[in-house]
Amino acid sequence: MMNLLIGGISVVGFISLSAMFLIWLERKISAHIQNRMGPMICGWHGSLQSIADSLKLLLKENIVPSGADKLVWSLAPFFVTVPVVMAFLTVPFSKTLIVRDLNVGILYVASITSICVLGIFMAGWGSNNKYSLLGGMRSAAQIISYEVPLLLSIVLVVMEAGTLSMQGIVQAQEQGWYVLKPNLAFAFLIYLISSTAEVNRVPFDIPEAESELGAGYHTEYTGMKFAMFFVAEYTNLVVVSAIATTLFLGGWQGPLLPGLFWFLIKVYGLVCLSMWVRWTLPRVRMDQMMTFAWKVLTPLSILNLLVSGWWMVR
Amino acid sequence: MADIIFYIIALSTCLFAFLTVASRDVFHSAVWLSLTLLSVAAIYFYLDAQFLGVIQVLVYIGGIITLFIFAIKLTAKIGDKTIQQANEQALLSGLAAFVFFIILFKMIALHPWAELQPQAPVFSLEDIGKSMLTTYVLPFEFLSLLLLAAMVGAIVIGKVRK
Repeated sequence: MMNLLIGGISVVGFISLSAMFLIWLERKISAHIQNRMGPMICGWHGSLQSIADSLKLLLKENIVPSGADKLVWSLAPFFVTVPVVMAFLTVPFSKTLIVRDLNVGILYVASITSICVLGIFMAGWGSNNKYSLLGGMRSAAQIISYEVPLLLSIVLVVMEAGTLSMQGIVQAQEQGWYVLKPNLAFAFLIYLISSTAEVNRVPFDIPEAESELGAGYHTEYTGMKFAMFFVAEYTNLVVVSAIATTLFLGGWQGPLLPGLFWFLIKVYGLVCLSMWVRWTLPRVRMDQMMTFAWKVLTPLSILNLLVSGWWMVR
Repeated sequence: MADIIFYIIALSTCLFAFLTVASRDVFHSAVWLSLTLLSVAAIYFYLDAQFLGVIQVLVYIGGIITLFIFAIKLTAKIGDKTIQQANEQALLSGLAAFVFFIILFKMIALHPWAELQPQAPVFSLEDIGKSMLTTYVLPFEFLSLLLLAAMVGAIVIGKVRK
């Protein structure tokens, strides 16, 4: 009981710190990609910028739109944030550092993050604003569509490891990371693309496309409610990177350094990759994106699953 | 301690279930229903049936509630607050539900429950998977055929006629 409590509190602390760090990192990386300096005033190279921003968000007025569906509108940020925090329950930070190693670990993460769709749609609906509703609608359609290839690529890892437990999957990769096997490398690629769509990032960020929807489902939110969406977005990025690390990159395994360091290095490496992609590629169109999910990624991942299954029982 | 957690979950399940049927707005009902289903999943987790809990969340919240919400979104005027919620048989059905509740309550109260606490059966995911594809393969295949038929039917209904 005590262990769970301590684990939960440390996870919340880690999430807040990590989100603040990632927001700063994203601004710096985007600035350098666009040949700018980014935040420079607060602290060394703007490193205290996120703290200043959080203080500002704390002091902002909580504006409730008069036309909003108040109940749905105020519940929505919790539906987005809480599942993301809960997903950390089974993330193995190192050999011993895991809140609880469920025997359905990876399935648990997949199921708990599927609640986020509901929250995003509630935000869009509750705002009672055309653009927000469009954003929420697009987001729900996108997340549901990309969940299919995402789960299919996870199934391949489960078939290879023979377990659903996160620690079990890490331990099964002692002989070599799964990304080094050809069929699993392909699954890793599919996972990376689908997870980018799952967390609504460029090139799949049409739910919050600034130029056409004015930030989509969270347009009407201010102050801490907006901050919750913002933190959830960056934490979701960490969650999908942590799952990719655990499933394909050997988790906390690595020479010399302790497991926690290896885990964090791999996770933040994947996060940086996602940021690099975000500031390099343009946004795709809605129909292109849905076509890509249903007509390219899903058949390819089913084919990959079939061929790998045949190879395993051969 | 553990009992208190159970009572909190049970109470919230009943509360959310009541709000589901009592709220005027159909979208609110969907939100409350999702919280009801989450509370039921919490009961499964509390009873150490983790697989069941996970599947409950994945299927009901990730699938069915999302489907409900899409249906609400795509149906014209369903969110209108002036839509009548109950028909003229409300009183009768309320009475029937009450009688049913009394019968159930009586049966539970009269049943001679064993004092000792039975242990939950230990199972592994492998057992579930194996039994699904050996002992219960016919119902399993039948269900997948049914779902396929439903999907084809939905596509045929939804297709734009030229």
